[in-house]
Amino acid sequence: MILLAHILLPFTYILLALLIKKASIKSRLAVLFATFNLLWALALLPIVQIKDIIVVQVGGWAAPYGISLVADRFSVFMLIMTAIIFFLVTIYATQSVDKARRKSGHFFFTFGILMGVNGSFIAGDVFNLYVWYEVMLMSSFILMSLGGERAQMEGSIKYLILNLISALFFVSGVGLLYGNLGTLNMADLSAIISEKSDMLTHLNPALILMVVSFAIKGALVPFFFWLPASYHTPPPAVSALLAGLLTKVGIYSLIRFYTLFLYHDAPFWNQLILWMGVLSMVIGVFAASSQFDFRKILSFHIISQVGYVVIGLGFYTVSGIAAAMFFLAHNMLSKTNAFLVAGWVKRQKGTLNLKTLGEVYKESPIWGVLFFISAFSLAGLPPLSGFIGKYLIIKAGIEANYIVVALIALFVGLFTLFSMVKIWLEVFWKDVPKDRVVKIPQKKRKSQYMLTSSLIMAILIVVMGLWAQPIVTYCEQAAVDLLNPELYIDKVLNFSR
Amino acid sequence: MRNLILEKIAVLYLRAILIVSVWLLLRGHNEPGGGFIAGIIASTGFILYAIVYGSTAVEKLLRYNTRNWIGSGLLIILIAVVLPIIWGKPAMSSIWMTLPDSISAYVHIGTPLLFDIGVYVSVIGIILSIIITIMDVLKWNS
Repeated sequence: MILLAHILLPFTYILLALLIKKASIKSRLAVLFATFNLLWALALLPIVQIKDIIVVQVGGWAAPYGISLVADRFSVFMLIMTAIIFFLVTIYATQSVDKARRKSGHFFFTFGILMGVNGSFIAGDVFNLYVWYEVMLMSSFILMSLGGERAQMEGSIKYLILNLISALFFVSGVGLLYGNLGTLNMADLSAIISEKSDMLTHLNPALILMVVSFAIKGALVPFFFWLPASYHTPPPAVSALLAGLLTKVGIYSLIRFYTLFLYHDAPFWNQLILWMGVLSMVIGVFAASSQFDFRKILSFHIISQVGYVVIGLGFYTVSGIAAAMFFLAHNMLSKTNAFLVAGWVKRQKGTLNLKTLGEVYKESPIWGVLFFISAFSLAGLPPLSGFIGKYLIIKAGIEANYIVVALIALFVGLFTLFSMVKIWLEVFWKDVPKDRVVKIPQKKRKSQYMLTSSLIMAILIVVMGLWAQPIVTYCEQAAVDLLNPELYIDKVLNFSR
Repeated sequence: MRNLILEKIAVLYLRAILIVSVWLLLRGHNEPGGGFIAGIIASTGFILYAIVYGSTAVEKLLRYNTRNWIGSGLLIILIAVVLPIIWGKPAMSSIWMTLPDSISAYVHIGTPLLFDIGVYVSVIGIILSIIITIMDVLKWNS
């Protein structure tokens, strides 16, 4: 039950949203349920510290046959980060999203996304993971096209088609895997694979299909096209949520698969994953520096940042995976907050084209500071969380003797700084260009909830940078668990209530 | 143009198909059938009714909005999932009522049946909400 609540809470909200008509009650209930979800995720933390791995066998059917929900330290960490992001974005959305969208089910579908994301973090079964991916894909697609603006439609069609291809790859991989081994429970699969190590090349087609699908989901090079083509089209609160949660699920699954199955064939997979990460890092950052749309720059940076996480996985040491986890969490916070600031700028100015914007800092210093914190955290400047994240990744790389990769990561950081400074200068600092003044009615619109949520997120970024030690310790424990899959297999298969 | 024969057939078909769907729903756990199939079969009756009498008539027949149908179906599912916890069993386990043999030869009553009823209600709601929306867009109100 403890884990099932992460699925049942969003489910309950969804059915209440169907039964209730008034938009204002729906928004309030959304905030309430997001709070419950956050509290529940935090409550898992002490439990997982005692039990190491929380296992729930749904319906009382034992592991390889029934549906297992499994949460180790890594899953709980991701559940908490998801809950924080979701809570803050929900508060933001109560004000930022227009009433028509809220009435036609904005929160309904955001809770669909929450259900999918939570579900894939605790799925102990490959097919269940696929089902949660579908839940996530369908609700995010509807959320992206909700409102039906022209640009939105264009973006969401690209999003839908490429993600359906990814789902197709995933489910064919699942089919091949089941045909070969006759089970889909992750712990059982891992146990069987470690017994029959000669079967590995036999399984590669299935695993490659699945890894490609994770790479599409996680927007890794060379499968990243859909992300920058679609993330700048929906309302800002939606793109903040998608940027904060969706790609991370792909990366989470990649880490889970790597530490359970792929590491058996390390000579093949390790280099592949590592260089996929390096290429994502480099290509993402270069593509970002040529863009002139606020949210497009940030979207390309998602690709680059995801690359950091993947190289952390590619090092395959305790410090590498711990760094990857820390970086994932840092990136969820900073990236979402950058999108939240972009949403405010869009609300005030009606555009996000860097060439027509300017002097926003003069208008509202506090939003300027909020952007400064999140952007320079992304770039990795000292007291912020990004500095610790990058430092850990590069340190892990040097320790694992991947000096070249570590140097590339350092070099990419410089270009990240360049794009962030570019946004800062163009949007917040420079004078409004004389020849291209866009006339927008200067209505005073309230934005206190938007400000609150963005402020809390910025404080969390600073706190994560200043008091990183407990988080890093936790991540290291989680990485030790991930590197010993025997524990996971044992807890899931020899489960007794 | 009204077609008297078609109107009568639609009503009769709806009644017959509702009985068939409930029968399918109840035999579902051990034999072919179940909430999803029964829901689809029941909604064919409503669809024929909607085609003959128009979408407003079928909305009136349903009493409640289709959104409420979906919502209450999901609510029943939620109850069926959570109910076993009261008996101290893990969520989603099946709990059966012990009934006299004369009844249990035909029907087993328990949480899986409740789950199926929830699926049944929400499937009817979903299919009809799709059909009614399409009919409204096409202005198909005879």
